[in-house]
Amino acid sequence: MDYNERMEKILEKVQKAPRYTGGEMNTTIKRWEECPLHFGFCFPDTYEVGMSHLGMKILYGLINREPWSLCERFFMPWTDMIELMKAEELPLLSMESRRPLSDFDVIGFTLQYEMSYSNILAMMDLGGVPLENKDRGENDPIVVAGGPCAFNPEPLADFIDAFMIGDGEDVMTELNRVILERKEKGLTRAECLRNLAALEGVYVPSLYDVEYDDSGVITAFRPNCGEAPAVIRKRVVTDLNQTYYPEEIPVPYTEVVFDRIMLEIMRGCTRGCRFCQAGMLYRPVRERSMEKLIDLAEKLYRSTGYEEISLSSLSSGDYSCLPELIRELMRRLKDQRVSISLPSLRIDSVLKESLEETQQVKKTSLTFAPEAGTQRMRDVINKGVTEEDLLEKVRDAFEGGWSSVKLYFMDGLPTETTEDLDGIADLARKVVEEYFRVPKEKRAKGLRVTVSASTFVPKPFTPFQWDAQNTIPEIIGKQDHLKKVLNIKGVHFNWHEPYLSFLEACFARGDRRIGAVLKRAYEKGCILDGWTETFRFDTWMEAFRECGLDPAFYANRVRDPEEILPWDHIDSGITKAFLLREKKKSEQALTTKDCRQGCNGCGLQRWKGVCGYANAGSV
Amino acid sequence: MRMLGVFEKGERIRHIGHLDIQRSFQRGLRRSGLPVAYSNGFNPHILITFASALSTGACGRREILDVTMASGVSEAEFLERMNRAMPPELQLSAARAVDDRHPSLMGMLCAASYEIVLRDPDCAEKLIPAIPAMMAKESVTATRKTKTAVKECDIRPLIYVLEGSGQSIFATLALTEREACKPGMLMEALSREAGLDREIRTLVIRKELLGKDEEGKLVPLEQL
Ligand code: SF4
Repeated sequence: MDYNERMEKILEKVQKAPRYTGGEMNTTIKRWEECPLHFGFCFPDTYEVGMSHLGMKILYGLINREPWSLCERFFMPWTDMIELMKAEELPLLSMESRRPLSDFDVIGFTLQYEMSYSNILAMMDLGGVPLENKDRGENDPIVVAGGPCAFNPEPLADFIDAFMIGDGEDVMTELNRVILERKEKGLTRAECLRNLAALEGVYVPSLYDVEYDDSGVITAFRPNCGEAPAVIRKRVVTDLNQTYYPEEIPVPYTEVVFDRIMLEIMRGCTRGCRFCQAGMLYRPVRERSMEKLIDLAEKLYRSTGYEEISLSSLSSGDYSCLPELIRELMRRLKDQRVSISLPSLRIDSVLKESLEETQQVKKTSLTFAPEAGTQRMRDVINKGVTEEDLLEKVRDAFEGGWSSVKLYFMDGLPTETTEDLDGIADLARKVVEEYFRVPKEKRAKGLRVTVSASTFVPKPFTPFQWDAQNTIPEIIGKQDHLKKVLNIKGVHFNWHEPYLSFLEACFARGDRRIGAVLKRAYEKGCILDGWTETFRFDTWMEAFRECGLDPAFYANRVRDPEEILPWDHIDSGITKAFLLREKKKSEQALTTKDCRQGCNGCGLQRWKGVCGYANAGSV
Repeated sequence: MRMLGVFEKGERIRHIGHLDIQRSFQRGLRRSGLPVAYSNGFNPHILITFASALSTGACGRREILDVTMASGVSEAEFLERMNRAMPPELQLSAARAVDDRHPSLMGMLCAASYEIVLRDPDCAEKLIPAIPAMMAKESVTATRKTKTAVKECDIRPLIYVLEGSGQSIFATLALTEREACKPGMLMEALSREAGLDREIRTLVIRKELLGKDEEGKLVPLEQL
């Protein structure tokens, strides 16, 4: 039986078959023989999560656009599918032409969150690709990875051949060209990897050696060949208007997490929140022009028929002409009944005007992220939001007819005290009061204030990269306290168990040695860790023990500023000096201004023509 | 004006459920740029109905959708624009413009013809010879599963045609809003008749939706 027949047989039995069928609108099936380079794009989570991801759609279109390369998609199958595949001896197949992963010249993983790492191993294993790069032969694919977690590539150093650091649009094509050259010239795998290492923004971990002291702290990290640079500088796309953006994106049959057009209005953020890794990694801020966005929105609507467009970025409220953009999009797409949504509203930039306009089309719940409960705590994390700001925006929202508000907070932040936790409850209570202050006939019925608290995970390239995460018992204690104080009428409290955040903290700041734990945990059956029903914390802890590593070394240890950090060879543009400065200021609860008010000297100003605000001459 | 469209649900997407197919057509119509009519209200949607929901797992050769247009458009243009807007697995083969007063397809639907492909090679030898005996019976019981209960019912009067050839069974079965014999019910009864007591792997292809003409003859629904 061929793959298709076996797949059909499995699809009759599997739950949620639509995740595996393919054939969606706007997917591209190019002729295999006519394209010399075959790229297998792997999203290490389920179809519903992967198909919600914008980056994948960008690169999918970008690779397929080149006449010489084709791109097909792979997703992580659910556990029932894995069992059926094993029983039928069916390898992981692409969504498009149903070819096994091992048939591709290059397979690329997108690293969006650490807790998807075990899925990477599972997908390679199911796809017939040797897990560790040392075991791959001349006929095996080159395995690459990119995305935010690639900024600390070390935990995956044993498994990934080459990492792409920074914006993927330009480097993707360059990387594919090098791999094509290998095929055409018959170069060896080793030669190809050295050529990849010579590309700007590409890190090939096997070309570097690491030394540790007895405690596990890194004492030396250096390249072992001439092609490998000592420091890998991230790639930055400077002009988003000139950069590829898809005009057609696949439209799934089945509902996915974000089933809509995502219009990336800008990249980066000028706020400088100290806990936010994305805010540091995606610097500098770059906007797409209004003309470009309107053109894209119309084209994407015509090619997808979606009912909703979400304006996406780290901080959409900061887009310079947001009200104009929204007004124009609504004017052009009103007859088509397209609604516009802003997923990450920053409370201090929500304009009343745009609020009213969004609501005209669709009234969803409004999200605010004060992140911390007291002004002191918000100053520590440089979240430039005051209580008055928040309450004013909330009042506007309630007066504008909203009755459902979500408030996002973190627990376990550096220097946090009980007072800061109580502050969360105070804020929630004040939000409730604002609602009741609006006259009954003016406000919408059914007040619902949802307070969500997530556990803080210190991340590389943030001022908190040296800090310890709270221990699990500490976090549980804080959550218990929050449960008590948030027992307020009209308020609903959401929290997550801290185990996943603890593991995330281990891998976020992990070194190469932790790769062994990942492999061991996978062998012991850990997969789909991001899903509560499949997450097995105890097994993970066993894997740590069996590998002789202490997870607390990674999660709960305060690092010395002198220490060589596992990601020190990656240049994100942000300097350690800046991060240390920010750390000192945070300890004194001193804030740093928004880059739009002047450059803070984060390090990017060193790169000519990269940051528009630095070049404005305010250093 | 309304437009009836005859479409195929391809084998690759046979596991896509009816709600998802509906949504695909909603979006396809939006992509097509055709002048469709929207419902009023807070969540406007295109006025579209289907003659019959096709079960998950089955493919369809001549399924029918019924769209209310906001202004006139030719059948040829409808067909051409829809086929550009729909994926390869959901292409249209015919379109027919009808008056707003045209009766609802659902109400006119009487039966459907099916090809049931037997996926296990030795099944056909046992099942096909059992057809005459079953058809000779006055009543044939099968179980009908609804959301809340499992009921026994007599499907014999609901089977209009039943034949076998090669690896396939061909059947015309009643399908109205009141009563229906699903291919699964038929296969359950037939395998009991043939003394096969294992699960049979099949591919159900709904070939045509049928209504009754003035003489009471079964004819393709879209032609009525
Ligand atoms: S270079 Fe200056 S303005 Fe640009 S991101 Fe860094 S601190 Fe902000």
